[in-house]
Amino acid sequence: METSNAERRKNTGFKISKSKFQAGTASPQDLHNLPTPARPTVDARDVVVPEGYTVEPVMVGLSFPTDVTFDDKGTVYVSEGGSSWPTRPYMPARVIALHANGETETIDMNVQAGPRGITWRDGELYMALKGGYHMQIVKYNLQSGELKVLIDSLPSGGWHEPGGPIFGKDGLMYFGNGSVSQQGVVLPAGFTVDMAKHPLAHDVPGQDVTLSGNNVRSRDPRMPYPYMVETGPFKPFGIAAEKGEVVKGDINCNSAVWRSRPDGTDMELLAWGIRNPFGMALNEEDELYVTDNDFEEKGERAISMDPDCIWHIKNASQPFGSITTPDWYGFPDFCHDGLPVNHPSHLPGRGTPAEMLMENHPPLAGPAAFLEQPHSCMCRMDFSRSDAFGFRGDLFVAEWGSMAPLNSPHPEDLTHGFRVIRVNVKNGTAEPFVHNKEMGPASKVGGGGIERPVSCKFSPDGKSLYVLDFGGVQVTSGNMLAFAHTGVLWKITKKEANNG
Amino acid sequence: MDNTTQMQPILIELDNETRSKQLDRAATWFNNVLLTQASYRKLVQDTVEKIDEPHIKQYLAEIAMRAETHEEVIRGELFSAIDRTPSDIRTALGTMAGKAREALGDMIALTGGARGPWQDLHQVYLSNYNSMGAIAVAEQLGLALGIPQVAHIAFQLVADKSTDQLLLQECVLEMCSMSILYHERF
Repeated sequence: METSNAERRKNTGFKISKSKFQAGTASPQDLHNLPTPARPTVDARDVVVPEGYTVEPVMVGLSFPTDVTFDDKGTVYVSEGGSSWPTRPYMPARVIALHANGETETIDMNVQAGPRGITWRDGELYMALKGGYHMQIVKYNLQSGELKVLIDSLPSGGWHEPGGPIFGKDGLMYFGNGSVSQQGVVLPAGFTVDMAKHPLAHDVPGQDVTLSGNNVRSRDPRMPYPYMVETGPFKPFGIAAEKGEVVKGDINCNSAVWRSRPDGTDMELLAWGIRNPFGMALNEEDELYVTDNDFEEKGERAISMDPDCIWHIKNASQPFGSITTPDWYGFPDFCHDGLPVNHPSHLPGRGTPAEMLMENHPPLAGPAAFLEQPHSCMCRMDFSRSDAFGFRGDLFVAEWGSMAPLNSPHPEDLTHGFRVIRVNVKNGTAEPFVHNKEMGPASKVGGGGIERPVSCKFSPDGKSLYVLDFGGVQVTSGNMLAFAHTGVLWKITKKEANNG
Repeated sequence: MDNTTQMQPILIELDNETRSKQLDRAATWFNNVLLTQASYRKLVQDTVEKIDEPHIKQYLAEIAMRAETHEEVIRGELFSAIDRTPSDIRTALGTMAGKAREALGDMIALTGGARGPWQDLHQVYLSNYNSMGAIAVAEQLGLALGIPQVAHIAFQLVADKSTDQLLLQECVLEMCSMSILYHERF
């Protein structure tokens, strides 16, 4: 029987299994003489945490790690993303389990772009995966080895990332899916390889939208001659939009956040227009907050000085199944400060200024709960729920750090991020919580401190904050290189709690 | 104030045995890089002599000089970055492979109706692509091993060879009609 293109575009053939994994331990001397020149030293003494807290490395040598979670027996799980940021080289897509007795094992999978988010719940490891035309939410039974694909319908195949999955006190599963496009239109300013892998990928709106007819003109890097093409929003690369054209909204969209039952059924779209909801966290009142990363100042739709932000997803506080219209948070036409992308304050210093892509915008659901410096790249996050650690109710956010000068020409953006911040989401303020002695990654400022925090999660007892550090990355004005075996899992504990 | 503890972290694939094995495997690939580059260098050196057209001859002469430099960088800096030594046998095999590609070009010309040095130029074009791909793989191994020096050396070589590839493609496409339709040398 002939296989249709639609069938081919489904992700199939997913295999997953556990295997023993031998990991040695490292002495302090070892940590000052690591065999990876990209990160030759790991030294907790170079990491600044508030007085009264200790910091220690738990795992060293991780390759492109993405998230951390814990089970109820003291096992720490760390996901390694496979083909991640940038897409090459691929390192094994897997989850490394460090058991309480010190033994290690891996959960290996054959997907190219692997686990981006992981959460343990009732003996199952829930994972958000990238790769192919759809992101996936799957669950893996750690006892039986059974794998179930729960969500496999959300359009992906481009720049941004899945968010979650996380679980609320209501027992529901919350997850997100970032936009395919980097700047609202699929353009070669992102990684060209995405166009080769997924030439049909595009953003999908969560509501019906009317297009302005503004297209973006760019070179088609796939062609042997310098072909110029026009691309519109919510279209594959090279397809132009018409003025007044209506693109139908779909629950299976991107730049969006959903919830469902734990088995993936009864999926409910809460919000869309969120460029990259990679970090998601629920506080003790079950209020949902998500991160969003700013537009970039480069290429054919350049936008300047868009702050990173944290959104409060207000629809998550409404009864399950009651959302008839999702909230819209502004992507692809509004910056996180609520101003349109073509506002004078967002005109770029380099690249082509952005034009509005939609007409008759839905009402904006902001303002943001917190605005952060541009290009801080806020990633995964967690609320403190314990007086033993302190700062109960504050949101701890891992900041991967700037990709300037690649995505911004402003020198002040070079040091944004590279830390964990503590956010008071009620009054929109924040304080640095974990950082190096000088702001910036260890590879720039020297020493054996942190590079790029990608996730932070509290241990189940609430006493320790685990900070997952992606590792060494070199960024120039033209490219970005990431080095495997340079990731570190750090553990931060309040001394009183440690002693008590 | 000390904010650290004395816990011993676990090391992921950074122990001496695993590391040494992976570096040996990288060295094996680097010898393939050397073979493909030596093959390409020999082919492009020999082809320069066969071209009469002054501009293309100059382009190829410059490409040949770069090919020699690149081969030396691979033999020296690339291997040194992983503390391994290159195989002389692979270089000799590469040179032989370059001559074999010339013979292949002659055979294609004989059976395919092309004339003149165009078939050699075509083989140079394919050969550069082959060695460029091998070096690009070396770049990925540098990233996978956490060794920036390998990645940077390979990246620059690939960048140079990408530019050469554009030039070789242009020469091959421009001159194909002269060779195939007119049966003329150039």
